[in-house]
Amino acid sequence: MTMNEESQEDWLDRRLRDATPYIEDDGFTARVLRQLPMPQRTGQFLRPFILVGMSAFASALTYVLSDGGRFIVVEMFKLTTIPPLWVVAFALASGMLVMAGGIFAAMSKTAHIQP
Amino acid sequence: MELTDAGLIARVLADDDQHAFGELVRRHQSSVRGLLRQLTRNDLALADDLAQDAFIRAFKNIRTFRGEAKFSTWLYRIAYNCFREDARRRKELVGINEEQWQAERDPHTVDPGLRHDLMHALSLLPLHERSAVLLCCQSGLSHDEASRVLDIPLGTVKTNVLRGREKLKKTLAAWAK
Repeated sequence: MTMNEESQEDWLDRRLRDATPYIEDDGFTARVLRQLPMPQRTGQFLRPFILVGMSAFASALTYVLSDGGRFIVVEMFKLTTIPPLWVVAFALASGMLVMAGGIFAAMSKTAHIQP
Repeated sequence: MELTDAGLIARVLADDDQHAFGELVRRHQSSVRGLLRQLTRNDLALADDLAQDAFIRAFKNIRTFRGEAKFSTWLYRIAYNCFREDARRRKELVGINEEQWQAERDPHTVDPGLRHDLMHALSLLPLHERSAVLLCCQSGLSHDEASRVLDIPLGTVKTNVLRGREKLKKTLAAWAK
């Protein structure tokens, strides 16, 4: 391929690329999204039943293995002996931890829809 | 932080997330619609209908996308198949064929302006050369990627690009000086 032929091909490629400017969306994406089939709901329909079933099974297992939940009474008794200041500090720390988790989850959920 | 195509596809696969798919459509609509406009010889309504059909097919079949090729290459392939099926259907219905269409076009009645001349010259190419030139020279696909999109051997793609280029160069010789 000669130098002239090579530069002529570059010229052609450049002109071809320039000849098709960016096409504005103008509602195209919205039209496509309106026609998409509804998501499959079978998995989501079963999800609450699975969660409730697993929770009930875990609760029953815990009740049996812990001698009728005796440890709860023992631990509750121990809690009454904790100084009030510790209880306040623990509640504050737990609240802040949950709030930070919530903010992080919200930020990661909306990150992809930022302009 | 902007998600990559792979990240968006993962969201679609995990939750049937239509917002994530919408973002993919927004990113690729221009190139897919552009390609189809050229293939349909600037029939904007038909090109948009085919593009819409292509994106819906892509959504339905996204589980078959294995990430071996770029998402855009996979989309081009679906769009090209939509175009081919539609062309076949139309040909059956009204008897249009490439040769007849080309014979009806007078290559000497070229509109002023390079862009017009280029589009006109492109529209005069037979379909197999036009699609190869569009994918390789305009959309920037490699010969290998174009051969996957068009579902033809690599050597045929190279030949079609070469022949298409030669014809374009001849038609546009005056502009290249």
